[in-house]
Amino acid sequence: MSAAISLESVSKRYGPRTIIHDVSFSVEKGEIVGFLGPNGAGKTTTMRMIAGFTAATSGTVRVAGFDMATENEEAARRIGYLPEHPPLYDTLDVSDYLKFVAKVKGVARNAVRADLDRVISACRLEAVVSSEIYKLSKGYRQRVGLAQALLGKPEVLLLDEPTAGLDPGQIQETREVIRAFGAEHAVLLSTHILPEVTLICRRVAIINQGRLLAIDSPAGLQRASEQTNRVTLMATGPAEAVRSALAELDGVQDVVVNETAGGAGQLAIDCRTDAREGIECEIARVVAGRWSLHRLQREQPTLENIFLRYIGGEQR
Amino acid sequence: MNGVLAVYRKEMLTYFRSPIAYFVVAVYLIGTGYFFTYNVFLTGTATMTETFRNMSILLVTLLPIVSMRLFSAEYSARTIELLMTLPLKAWEIVIGKFLGALTILLLMTLGTMVNLIPLYLYGNPETTTIFAGYFGFFLLGMACLAVGQLFSALTQNQIVAALITVSVLLGFWFIGHLQNFQASPVLRGLLGYLSFSQHFSAFIQGLVRSEGVTFYLVVCGIALSLNASYLQWRR
Repeated sequence: MSAAISLESVSKRYGPRTIIHDVSFSVEKGEIVGFLGPNGAGKTTTMRMIAGFTAATSGTVRVAGFDMATENEEAARRIGYLPEHPPLYDTLDVSDYLKFVAKVKGVARNAVRADLDRVISACRLEAVVSSEIYKLSKGYRQRVGLAQALLGKPEVLLLDEPTAGLDPGQIQETREVIRAFGAEHAVLLSTHILPEVTLICRRVAIINQGRLLAIDSPAGLQRASEQTNRVTLMATGPAEAVRSALAELDGVQDVVVNETAGGAGQLAIDCRTDAREGIECEIARVVAGRWSLHRLQREQPTLENIFLRYIGGEQR
Repeated sequence: MNGVLAVYRKEMLTYFRSPIAYFVVAVYLIGTGYFFTYNVFLTGTATMTETFRNMSILLVTLLPIVSMRLFSAEYSARTIELLMTLPLKAWEIVIGKFLGALTILLLMTLGTMVNLIPLYLYGNPETTTIFAGYFGFFLLGMACLAVGQLFSALTQNQIVAALITVSVLLGFWFIGHLQNFQASPVLRGLLGYLSFSQHFSAFIQGLVRSEGVTFYLVVCGIALSLNASYLQWRR
């Protein structure tokens, strides 16, 4: 059984400019993968290559085992795609628009009604079914676009910034729709909203300037960047003694001690540590045993930090 | 084939929910009505020949307004991204859209047939000549729409698409006049063959010649297949 989506050293060039450099990854059935990167990183171009809107200059893109270069149409039957700008016909009714897409996707005549009802209720479009699309708000337009992608229960769902333009309540609902759909199908969604990725994606691909920098679970990415583990504490005691006591501890890589503005020997201490569980307890024991400890906090690297670190590393 | 029908149905919905189709058909019928009245009632001859001549030049200038939106509007609304990623072949999109535009042409053609009522009531026209004229008229319209659709696929600006189409169509309409400036019989023949109006003239005189039929169908075929290849190439 081949992967639902697979890219093998895919590159895209427009004339002399290379937009995508040698990107390889795959998405399995039943998996939601987040595609993370700043604007202009190449997310949309990659999405378009998987959807078959643009062809890769080199490398192979396969969807459900079909090569997008040669078996484009077979693959297209298995793809639901929501582009960055929802592709809507403004003068049509929502229901006429959805019927058009369902027919082209080859939904059987007697199943069209049921399929329409399914996506309309999943995307909460009941109130606007017979409105013309140009009258809809941005949030509704986005959801009509999503509904269109869900038609025909495609094996592969490609969503380019699906929650853009939605209010917080709608974002919540849309995430639920995607999560439910992703349980049985393969979903690749691009976003630059970090919390979204941690909430619904099993794996995250980080892309910048057309290169794939990392692909792993959100937890795996956090583990991989152990040097951003930090323990910060407030204590009272002699600065030099505290510093050397902490520096001797196993797993503590670097200690910075600053006198606080409050004076009277109060210190703000910043330790860089490894990722080991419980290291903050050992630090607490050392400090509290000899001096007085006011506050201690362990900071996990957020996805935000990881993201910025990867992108920063790329630019250097 | 399913794809062609779905695209066709979508095109028809779009045409009749925007004022453009109504506008073009209305202007066309008003214009034709005027020409008909002028040519038939003022001269007192029961033929459509002169009216066909006037109708054709009006057709050549109005059809680009019908064809301009076919692809340009898909580009500017970014719906092309949907069309090209749905399980549709390029030719299915091209044919579906072309059939949509042909339906508008058919409405325009049928509308002008109102003129035939007084013609038959008060005169004694030659039915075969009129039939040949309408046949040529429809073929001419097909060729114009195919050319217009091709130019619409080349730009995302509808106005630009219409202007280029009008220029090219008028160019081919009048190209026969250049014959007068050519000494070489080969060039004269070629210019005459390329002329949209010279082929049409044969039809309105009642001559359905395979040469004329082939000419318009070949123009359609070339424009539509270039259109489909362009869509493929665009990927």
